[in-house]
Amino acid sequence: MSNNGATILRIENLHAGIPGRKILKGLNLEVRAGEMHAIMGPNGSGKSTLASVLAGRPGYEITAGSVTYLGQDLLAMAPEERARQGVFLAFQYPVEIPGVNNVYLLKAAYNARRKHRGEPEVDAFEFLELVRGKMKLMGMNESFLSRGVNEGFSGGEKKRNEVLQMTVLEPTLALLDETDSGLDIDALKVVSQGVNSLRDPSRAIVMVTHYQRLLDHVQPDQVHVLADGRILRTGDRTLALELERRGYDWVQAAPGAA
Amino acid sequence: MKSDPRQHALNTLAEQLGQLSPGLPGGSAWSARRHQALQRLLAEGLPDKRNENWRYLDWAELDRRSLTAPAGLHGGLAHPPGTPGLEILPLGEALEREGERLAALLPLPGSESDTGFDLLAEASTGTGWWVRVAAGVEVGEPLQILHQRKPDAPSHLRVIIELGAGARLHLIERFAGGDGEVLSVQATSLFLADGSALQHTRLFECSGESALVDQLEASVERDARYRQALFMLGGRVLRSSQRLRLRGRGAEAELDGLFVVDGQRQADLYTVIDHEGPQTRSRERVHGVASGRGRAAFNGRILVGPAAAGSDSSQTSRNLLLSPTAEINARPQLEILTDEVKCSHGATTGSLDPDQLFYLLSRGIDPETARGILTYAFCEDVVGVVTDPAVRRRIEELVAGQLPDRDLIQELL
Ligand SMILES: Nc1ncnc2c1ncn2[C@@H]1O[C@H](COP(=O)(O)OP(=O)(O)O)[C@@H](O)[C@H]1O
Ligand SMILES: [Mg+2]
Repeated sequence: MSNNGATILRIENLHAGIPGRKILKGLNLEVRAGEMHAIMGPNGSGKSTLASVLAGRPGYEITAGSVTYLGQDLLAMAPEERARQGVFLAFQYPVEIPGVNNVYLLKAAYNARRKHRGEPEVDAFEFLELVRGKMKLMGMNESFLSRGVNEGFSGGEKKRNEVLQMTVLEPTLALLDETDSGLDIDALKVVSQGVNSLRDPSRAIVMVTHYQRLLDHVQPDQVHVLADGRILRTGDRTLALELERRGYDWVQAAPGAA
Repeated sequence: MKSDPRQHALNTLAEQLGQLSPGLPGGSAWSARRHQALQRLLAEGLPDKRNENWRYLDWAELDRRSLTAPAGLHGGLAHPPGTPGLEILPLGEALEREGERLAALLPLPGSESDTGFDLLAEASTGTGWWVRVAAGVEVGEPLQILHQRKPDAPSHLRVIIELGAGARLHLIERFAGGDGEVLSVQATSLFLADGSALQHTRLFECSGESALVDQLEASVERDARYRQALFMLGGRVLRSSQRLRLRGRGAEAELDGLFVVDGQRQADLYTVIDHEGPQTRSRERVHGVASGRGRAAFNGRILVGPAAAGSDSSQTSRNLLLSPTAEINARPQLEILTDEVKCSHGATTGSLDPDQLFYLLSRGIDPETARGILTYAFCEDVVGVVTDPAVRRRIEELVAGQLPDRDLIQELL
């Protein structure tokens, strides 16, 4: 494990849920620059809740604990502020926004981030060049340029589009919520390529996933098992392989090694 | 029982019309019609809150306005020069030229209890336009009429459009101007002979203080097709009452409408689509947006008559409420008097989709802009039917003008 980078994300004793229901029950996680983490867990264990809370989705209650991003209180920041500071969430279920152009939204997002850093906005031509290059990498065809955000996209296209946005925006902290599910093997390769291209000593990636097959294509530094709102175990890639073999029940039955 | 100020306003109007009448065009046929309409108007009065189809209007605001002294309009006309088979005349000239024929063509306002504004338009017939496209003629370029109301007087307006068999026309009308002291009325009569097609873009960009009651009736004959794109984007109080009669077999009507009200403004759209003939088709789609203390109503009736077997109609109404003090009343009504018809309708009223909103925020867009983007996209769905680029741009400006970060928003869509 590479423990040399500065801390990008620190989650301490996080308790969160929706009104009347506790979902995260004391979660701890530290992610440093340059690292890639995978969080695995059975359905309903709270993976999307964690991603949503980190991105600032309304509707969740934080009842205890703290989240620090680059030394700041992440939970005190508005969602758009988190995005401008480099937090990016690739959604498990990206929403369709008919009528809002896919690429112009991406340009607005890109410029919002640049503006925040005090950099000049890029013009449409320059931006298109950039996007075209990334689209090629993602195996996306030109029609994506003119379509509405996720409008009429297949499940796989939506996931590719999320990764495209991620590679263009180059976030400091990328959160991917089951970006691998519902993909065929080719799409999985392309998406993994996009994720790998983002790896950088200054950035961190947290991937939430349900299956271990993604880990055939990307090399996380740490693998965590999330169950019942807590990280029950942390290890390296071999933990994922063991999970594959023995199932989640094994972790839940024998907690400890976190 | 009519309130005194209203009766007083009608009496004053009657006096003024009496003085004006010798100078009004159309000969004896039209002076008789005007006289009759005025007498009925004085007897029956204008509709009011108690009338089901008019109950949502801000009558306090309307009642404080004057109806008197119909004045002319400033008008602009843009049309393809010298198109053979296309005739356009100011209404007065048309009435002078063929008053008798037009009197026979135009039905008298019906005997329903709420025809007061039809009677008012009828009683003041004189200003407006008459357009005719001869049978078989396809007018290639859109015909554009700007109705610019003067700021200091009401103007009651009539528009008559006649399309001969197989004729085609795209008519763009823009209604602008008006002020805060008066109430204006206008009536449009459309005649679409067999197999003709009228594309009708109607943009209400009246000044923010104006009050206008718009009435339209279309007679669509066999295999003829009427398409209207309606934008109710201006005015303190704007009411549009429309009746589309699908008279002949295979007649078709499409209505795409958008109203946007903010501040204290009010829009009220009442439509009746009347499937009279067999195998007639209609599609109606109305989107509404209300913010601030804006109020709007959409009352859409679909009537499928006993002879309308094999007809097909669909109606959707989607409404967006952007503030807790805004109000939209959407009321679809289906009245079906025959079997073997296909009718679908649905109305929704809600606020912006929280998932879409969060998606935009999570990409760094600020909340106000994100709301603007989603609102604009909602409107753009209807604006997209406008084919004329300049008019479309104008509509987009009017819609975006009410939203923050308009440049960014317009770029995004
Ligand atoms: N907004 C919500 N409303 C109702 N239940 C929710 C909501 N968000 C999460 N839950 C519930 O909380 C639990 C954890 O959900 P989630 O975080 O989506 O799990 P995962 O992503 O690991 O499958 C599930 O039982 C889910 O049904
Ligand atoms: Mg999930």
